[in-house]
Amino acid sequence: MIDASVIASRRRLLLRDSVTFFLLTLTTVVLFVLTLLLFRSFTAHRADLSVRWAARGRSALAQGHPELAVPALRTALVYAPDEREYQMLLAQALGGSGHAEEATNYFLNLWEAQPGDGVINLQLARLARRRSERTEAIRYYRASIFGSWNGDGVERRREVRLELANYLIELGDLPAAQTELLIAASNAPPGAGLEILFGDELERAKDPANALLYYQKAIAQDPENPEAYAKAGRMAYQLGDYAKAHGLLERAVRVSDGEPDDRVEVLLHNVERLLVLSPAAARRASDRITRLLDDKAIAKRRWDGCVAQGSKQAILAGVQAEVQALNARWAQAQGISTREALAADQNNEDVLTSLIHESETTAASLCGAPTGDDALLLLLAQNAQREEQR
Amino acid sequence: MGVEPKIAELREDDAAKLAPRREEQVFLLLSIFIGVISGLLVVSFRMAIAWLSVLLLGSSPGPHQARLIYVPCVAGLGIAVLTRYVFPQVRGSGVNQTKAALYIHNGFISIRTMIGKFLLASLAIGSGHSLGPEDPSLQIGAGVASLISRKLGLSREKLRIFAPVGAAAGLAAAFNAPISAILFVIEEVIGQWSAGVLGSIVLAAVSSVVVARWFWGSEPMFRIPAMSLRDPRELMAYAVLGVVGGAASLVFAKSLGYLRPRLRNQPTWSQLMQPALAGLLVGGIGYFGLPEVMGAGYEAIDQAMHGQFVLHVLVLLAVFKIVATTLSFSSGTPGGMFAPTLFIGAMLGAAVGSFEKHYFPHLTGSTGSYALVGMGVLFAAFLRAPLTSVFMVLEVSGNYSVILPVILANTIAYLISRVLQPVPIFELFTHQDGLYLPSMEEQREEKSELHFEDALAPIAVPVLKGSETLWEARRTMTEAFAIQDPEAVLIQCKDGGWYAASRAEMEGLFLGLGADQTAPEAKQAIEERLGKERTPLMFPDQPLSAALPYFGRWPLLPISNRAMRGALEGVLSQADVLRRYQRG
Repeated sequence: MIDASVIASRRRLLLRDSVTFFLLTLTTVVLFVLTLLLFRSFTAHRADLSVRWAARGRSALAQGHPELAVPALRTALVYAPDEREYQMLLAQALGGSGHAEEATNYFLNLWEAQPGDGVINLQLARLARRRSERTEAIRYYRASIFGSWNGDGVERRREVRLELANYLIELGDLPAAQTELLIAASNAPPGAGLEILFGDELERAKDPANALLYYQKAIAQDPENPEAYAKAGRMAYQLGDYAKAHGLLERAVRVSDGEPDDRVEVLLHNVERLLVLSPAAARRASDRITRLLDDKAIAKRRWDGCVAQGSKQAILAGVQAEVQALNARWAQAQGISTREALAADQNNEDVLTSLIHESETTAASLCGAPTGDDALLLLLAQNAQREEQR
Repeated sequence: MGVEPKIAELREDDAAKLAPRREEQVFLLLSIFIGVISGLLVVSFRMAIAWLSVLLLGSSPGPHQARLIYVPCVAGLGIAVLTRYVFPQVRGSGVNQTKAALYIHNGFISIRTMIGKFLLASLAIGSGHSLGPEDPSLQIGAGVASLISRKLGLSREKLRIFAPVGAAAGLAAAFNAPISAILFVIEEVIGQWSAGVLGSIVLAAVSSVVVARWFWGSEPMFRIPAMSLRDPRELMAYAVLGVVGGAASLVFAKSLGYLRPRLRNQPTWSQLMQPALAGLLVGGIGYFGLPEVMGAGYEAIDQAMHGQFVLHVLVLLAVFKIVATTLSFSSGTPGGMFAPTLFIGAMLGAAVGSFEKHYFPHLTGSTGSYALVGMGVLFAAFLRAPLTSVFMVLEVSGNYSVILPVILANTIAYLISRVLQPVPIFELFTHQDGLYLPSMEEQREEKSELHFEDALAPIAVPVLKGSETLWEARRTMTEAFAIQDPEAVLIQCKDGGWYAASRAEMEGLFLGLGADQTAPEAKQAIEERLGKERTPLMFPDQPLSAALPYFGRWPLLPISNRAMRGALEGVLSQADVLRRYQRG
C-alpha cells in the first residue's frame, strides 16, 4: 500500500511540473511575440535603408558617377542581399567605374544563378569585349540574344544583335556582321526608322547592295522621307547605278521642303555630270561616241598637265617607263580618236575607254586627287575596274 | 519563473524518489523549449548587433569616417566598466565558459551572465570590435538551458547535461546549421557521443534552427556561388590552401596566446582601458581603409566568396583581421572567435583562388569555392574541430561536390596546426585562466585504455557442467582439489551462460549432501541449485576497468568468444586486473 503522504507528494510534484511547463509555455509565447514585433520593425528599417541607398546608387549612375554608385549600391545590398536589381546595378557600376575584374566576377556569380538571362550575358559580353576577349564576348552576345528578357524581349534582342554586328565590324569580320544584320533586319517590324538603321549598319559592314535594299524599304514605308532618299541615292551612286542615284537624289531634294542637305546637292550635281560623261549612260551610239570623245579630251588634258607638272617637280623619276608607255598609247590613239573610226569598230571604243581610265588613274596616283570632271572620270574608271574584277 | 512556495519546497532528491522516471520524461520536452527560447534569443541577439551597428557606425561605414575610430573606443570603455563591475563572467568567447559550467559548476550559468553576454557582446560587435556572435550565442543557449533546468528542480546530473543541449541550440540558431552545431558541441564541449544526450541535443538544435529560419528564412548563412571540382589537379591548389590555412591559424593562435595573458596581467586601471584601446586600433584599421575587418564581417565574407576583392586586398584583409581580432579578444571584450576565423579563412581561400585563377587560368575552380573551403580550413586548424569543419562547409554550401577539397585542405591544415601548436586554442585560454578543463582533442587522441584481453589468463580452475548432479560435482571437485587448490570453479550452464562460483560457495552447496548418492538432493543438477543468476557475459575487447565492479560478487570472470556462444577465451581475476594495471 502506498502511503497517503506519498500520493499527496506525487500530486504536488505533478502540479509543480504542470505549473512550470505552463509558465514556460507562457514565457515562450511572450518572448516570441516580442521578438516578432522587434523583427518586423527591424526588417522594415533595413528595407527602408536598402531603398534609400539604392536610390542614391541609381542617381549616381544616372549622373555618370559609377564610382559613387558602387559604395551606395554595396550598402543597399547589405540590407537587401537578394535584391536582383541592386545586384545588377552594382555590377554595372563596378564595370563603369573601371573595376572590370570585380564587375566580371559579380556578373559571373549572377550568371551562375541565371545562365540564360539576357541582361547578364550582355553585360558579360561587354566586359569581355573591353578585355579584348573576342571568343568570350561573341559567346556571351549570342547567349544574350538567345537568353530570356523581361517584357521587351524582341526589341532588346535586336539591339544586342546590332551591338554584336558593330563588334564584328570593329573586328573586321564583315561577313559575320552582315549575316547578323540581315537576321536582325529580317526579324524587325516594319518602320522607316528601323530600315534606315539597318541600311546604315549594312553600309558600315560594306554591304552597299543590301544597304540600298533597306533604304528602299524605308522609302516604301515612308515615301516622303528625305533621309531615306538621300541615303539610297548615295548607295546607288556607290554601286555605280547613276541613273537610279539621280532619281533618288532628285527626290531627296524635292521632299526636303526646300532645305536640302548640301551634300545631297553636291552628290546630285556629280551624278548629273556623271550621266553626261558616262558613255554607258548614252541611249544612242552616236551620243556614246560624242561622250567618249569629250571624255578623251578631258583625260588628255589631265594627263598632259600631269606630265608637265611631273617634269617640273621631278616626280616621274621612278615611273618613266610607265609614262612613256602611256604617252605612246596616246599617240597611237590619235588614229582611232575620230567619230568615224569609233563608229566603224566597237573595239576602238574599248581601247579609247581603257586609255581614258588608265590615264585618269595614273594621273591620280602621280599627281594627286583630281577635281571636277577628272574626278568623275576617275570614279567611272574605278567602277569599271571593279566590274572587271567581278 | 515564480513557483508556489509549497510546491517549490519539494527537493530534487525527494522528486527523484517520488517519480523515478520523471526526469527522463521531461528531458526531451524541455529540450524543445530550450531550443525554441534559445532560437528566439539568438534572433534577438543578431538583431541587436545589426541595429547597434547601424546606430553607432552608420548605415554605410566606410574609410575616413571619424566615428569608425571613436565609436569602438567609447564602446570599449563602457564594456570594460560593465564587465568589471556588473557582469564579471562575460569575458571571452563563451565556449570555455560553457565547458566550465559543465565540468566545474554543475551546469550552472547565472542569468546575469546570460544577460551580460547578450548586452555586452552585441554592443562590442555592433560597435565594430572584431569579434563574432556565434560563441556568445552558444553561451546564451547554455544559459537558457541552465536557467530552465534549475527552475524545474532537476538532478545535478541532468543540470550538467542541459548546458551542452542549450549550447547546441544557441550555436545552431546562430549558424543556421544544426548538424555543425551538434557536432561542435559533441566534438568540443562534451567530447563523447551518448544516445541520451544526443537525442536532446538534436531536438534542441532543430527547434532553435526552425525558429531562426522562421525569422531569417531558410537561406544558408552565406550566398554560396555554384561550384564543382572539374579538374582533379585543382586538389593541388586546395592542398596549398591547407598549408596556408595551417600557417595562418598558427600565427593567429600564437598572437592570441602571446598577447592575451600579458594584457590580463596588467593592473586593473589598465584592464579598464584595454577594450577602449583595442577599439581605437581596430577602428583605426577601419578608418584607414579596411572597414571590412570591423564587426563580424559577414558582408566581407560574402563579397570574398563572390570574387569582389582583388588578391592584395584579400591578403591585407586576412592579415588585419588577425591583428584586429587578437586585439579585441585579448583585451577581454566579450565576443566570439568563430566569425573572425571564418573571415580569415574566407579571405585566404579567396586569395589562393585568385592567385590560381591568375597564374593557372586553365584550372576552373571559382574564387568562391576556395573562399568556402578556406573557411573550413581555418575552422579545422584554429578551432581544432575537424569533423565540424567538414560538415559546416557541406551544410553551409549545400554542395556535396566540394567534399574532397574540404577534407584534403582541412586535414592538412589541422595536422600542421597540431604539430606546430600542440595545445588547442580553447585549452590554451583555459590554462591562461587557471582552469584545467578536459581537452576534447586529447581525449580523442588518448591511447585506448587496457582491455580484458590485456589481462586475460588461461582457464586454470575446474570446469563443471551445469547438468552434473551435486553428487558428481562433489566427486569432481574432490579430485580436483587433490591435484590443485583452486579458489573458484566455472560452471557451464545449458543455456550457454557461465557461473563462476567460489570454493566456499561450492562447499556451501555440498553441505546438505550425505553419503547416499540416490538421495533427491544428490541427484539435483548444479544449475538447478544455482538458480537463474549467471556471471555477466563479457568479451575480450571490453575496457579492463569495466571488470572491477564485478569482483565484489564473482571470484573470477569468464571471458567469452564473440563468435562462438559458450566458448571461453580465458578468465579474469581481480588479481590479474590489478597486476596488469601495475605493469602499466
